[in-house]
Amino acid sequence: MAKNIDKIKQEVKSLVSDITEIPEADLAEDAKFTEDLGVDSMMALEIVASIEKKYKTPVPEEKIPNLQSLKDIYDLLEELL
Amino acid sequence: MAKLLKDKVAIITGGSRGIGRACCLAFAREGASIVFTYNKSLDEAKELQTKIKALKVECLAMQADVRDFGQCQQVIQKTLKNLKKIDILVNNAGIIRDKALAMMLEADFKDVVDTNLGGCFNMSRAAIISLLKQKSGSIVNISSITGIVGAPRQTNYAATKAGIIGFTKALAREVAGYNIRVNAVCPGYIDTDMVKSVHESIRTALLKMIPFQRIGKPEEVAEVCLFLASDKASYITGEAIKIDGGLAA
Repeated sequence: MAKNIDKIKQEVKSLVSDITEIPEADLAEDAKFTEDLGVDSMMALEIVASIEKKYKTPVPEEKIPNLQSLKDIYDLLEELL
Repeated sequence: MAKLLKDKVAIITGGSRGIGRACCLAFAREGASIVFTYNKSLDEAKELQTKIKALKVECLAMQADVRDFGQCQQVIQKTLKNLKKIDILVNNAGIIRDKALAMMLEADFKDVVDTNLGGCFNMSRAAIISLLKQKSGSIVNISSITGIVGAPRQTNYAATKAGIIGFTKALAREVAGYNIRVNAVCPGYIDTDMVKSVHESIRTALLKMIPFQRIGKPEEVAEVCLFLASDKASYITGEAIKIDGGLAA
């Protein structure tokens, strides 16, 4: 993952931006989707489904509620990929 | 005629007795693979499993305490492992601890809340991600007429059953976009062990209040659950249907 991290981060950011309809420039890494960005919590599942499809890796169910910011997703992918 | 639940997988909690048992049999007759949970009634569970398998459908009986989220997760995981999917969840497991509020212990309240309402949350929560990913499913929650009109000595039970209706309506709105329907049924007085445990004098008084002048059969509740679980109810969600012989009409 290490050498691709910047590429993956950019892909994930773009994917999250598409789903949430929030411009990439406004998606700060630490911003909480629900509290800071006003994203519907149901969208977490859409994001997970897209990540699973793109990276062909299942996201364990127990991890899903913890995915509250871009950083959380980056950390998870680092762990999974 | 094609069976209503052909190729469907249904999980029914508290399936070994009463309304849950009637649902298991009704769903199995309509072709569903059945997973039912029981807590303590092992003999009844074994007998039911044999009866369901005789209907030529798959049947898994799982001991589980719905108060425990971990055990509910295991039920879901085992179902997915063995039957590959979940189409229908019937949250039926429930208990009563009837007492006047003045005599009710905190434990009487907590046990009922944890089982009836907590169990509904635990199973729904454990199943929902699979249903959301699948973009289909039907959840049927067993509430009670008591959740609508109340009943003396049932502050605990009535609170959980009213809570189940709120849970049903909220979840129905939340997951409608994923083609998942969530409904409740509100049985009145039904011929189950639970109602038999109510004092004879109270039951006699209740009968006089029911326009049909009789208590209902578990099968009469199961038929409504079957309808709600099936595609016949494809445009119904967030509903709570009374099955009470007109008691709360």
